[in-house]
Amino acid sequence: MATTTVTIPQNLPAPKKRAHFIAIAMRMLANGKLPVAYGAFYAVLLAIIVGLIYPTISKLNFDAYVSSSILTGILGAKVQHISGYTTLVAVELYSALYGLIFGGIIGYLAGAAIPATAENGTLDLALARPVSRTRYYLETWLGTFLAAVLISVLTIIAVWIGSLFVSNPNIDWKWLLITQVIEFAFLFMSTGLGLLFGSFIDASRTAGGIVVGILFLFYMMNTIGGISDKLNWMLKIEPFYYTQGIQALVAHDITGWYPWVLVVAGLVFGLIGLVIFNKRDLPTT
Amino acid sequence: MTTATPAIEINQLKKYYGKIEAVKGISMSVERGEIFGFLGPNGAGKTTTIRCMLNLIYPTSGSIRILSMDAQSDAINLHKHLGYLPGDVRLPGDMTGKQVIDYFSRLQGLEPVLLNPLVEMFDVEMKRPIKSYSKGMRQKIGIVLAFMCDPDVLLLDEPTSGLDPLLQKTFNQFLLDEQARGKTIFMSSHIMSDVEKVCHRVAVIRKGELVTVETVEALREKAGQRVTVEFGDSVAPEELARIPGVSMVQQHNAQYQFNISGSMDALIKALSRHNVVRLNAEEAPLEEVFLKFYEEPEKTTVETR
Repeated sequence: MATTTVTIPQNLPAPKKRAHFIAIAMRMLANGKLPVAYGAFYAVLLAIIVGLIYPTISKLNFDAYVSSSILTGILGAKVQHISGYTTLVAVELYSALYGLIFGGIIGYLAGAAIPATAENGTLDLALARPVSRTRYYLETWLGTFLAAVLISVLTIIAVWIGSLFVSNPNIDWKWLLITQVIEFAFLFMSTGLGLLFGSFIDASRTAGGIVVGILFLFYMMNTIGGISDKLNWMLKIEPFYYTQGIQALVAHDITGWYPWVLVVAGLVFGLIGLVIFNKRDLPTT
Repeated sequence: MTTATPAIEINQLKKYYGKIEAVKGISMSVERGEIFGFLGPNGAGKTTTIRCMLNLIYPTSGSIRILSMDAQSDAINLHKHLGYLPGDVRLPGDMTGKQVIDYFSRLQGLEPVLLNPLVEMFDVEMKRPIKSYSKGMRQKIGIVLAFMCDPDVLLLDEPTSGLDPLLQKTFNQFLLDEQARGKTIFMSSHIMSDVEKVCHRVAVIRKGELVTVETVEALREKAGQRVTVEFGDSVAPEELARIPGVSMVQQHNAQYQFNISGSMDALIKALSRHNVVRLNAEEAPLEEVFLKFYEEPEKTTVETR
């Protein structure tokens, strides 16, 4: 009950300035902690399972399994150089499924980021303060970028944990890092795609869901595009084609400009979203 | 920035959503240090106007200047001096009151100098997650967020919504104290009694058009007297409605209630022709004048119950 008589002094000193830092980005990261945690859990679980099953699976006809055409379609890459534990890690963790699962998580997060703040009322309150829409958008993007970095670091840690279960993992850590950078380029593309849809869709789940749906469509194009030469064009217009995780980790061979295609695509998507976000009326939801 | 210019100047503001004309070219100004009421029924265009003032939506045409700064092109500088309370205070459920205040104080770039007095005055809950808050508790946090960094101009969208009568009284007194400290307050409401206690002037908006901008005192004069008269003989309500200054005639058996503005002379003369059992006159509620503005232009107001 407000029964206290409180008087505010007439000559109140002007408030001191306070550092903004990257409050919006950190808030966005806090909002996304649950999906990131799911992703990290999946990565750790998968890496540990791979480590645990490797001794058994290595005694089977593993080469035939990883080079089968059905698996090639699912993975989005043909495994040509089979080299033990590294191959299993590449197949299970760094195939096209990495983009589908982790790209999906980051894409959903990015797509839902701005609409979610409109839904919970913080977007209006934030932009009623001395914060420009450009700053709000870029900090939100930074938040999703940091989430992608977090998932990437956790994936490497997960691989390391999994390798502890194998007697001689023989992983080339330098190439694992390169592989992770390549996959990160895909995650970055997902952040841009997500922000683009979040810039004009008002409902967070719809925006995030559409981004996941589009990534799944790209994945389907990737699996179908490899079936015939006549469908090859399909591969070149979807981002999984430019993500050579397995090739990098197993064959230590990449096409240097491929990751840049993903980075540029992410930037283009994100910047189009920025223009839309700056031009539009914000929702009153 | 000169002190002579109004704190808020809205000039021919129009806002269309496709074919829907939400605000149809309104103009008004608010003086520095004034508490200004912006009244209208739901959907009249109050929130749209405030959101244009905050640059959250873009006007179709017209201009808004606050503290001599353009609300669109100079929004970031302007927002350093603004406090805003939305009509529906919604906040992230997982944050505590303290976290919300810390977050928005960072975004404002200023220490919340008024935090402690406000928390004490409105008995604000700070430690629990927002998801456990009632509407009134969220409204109190909203008030703290608007005022905590001591802004010069406050845009309040239905500020007393969700507050109990005791808190409303505290809030009204707080607004008057802030006015005494030189703050300019622009508050919207659809309830006249909310604003008549604190506002010097009010603007009434209906269907996106400004119906009037008047002082509360002028509105009181328009409202005039509320007269209750009980007759011993039969009187037709139309006879009363024809008396100059009489409006809103209501009949309940032999008892009539109506408003009268201006001189009562014609009324007294008309009543003298009848057998008057009881007569009472008091200041008419401002709400009724306000409701007249809400209605379609000039309807005959004779009701028989």
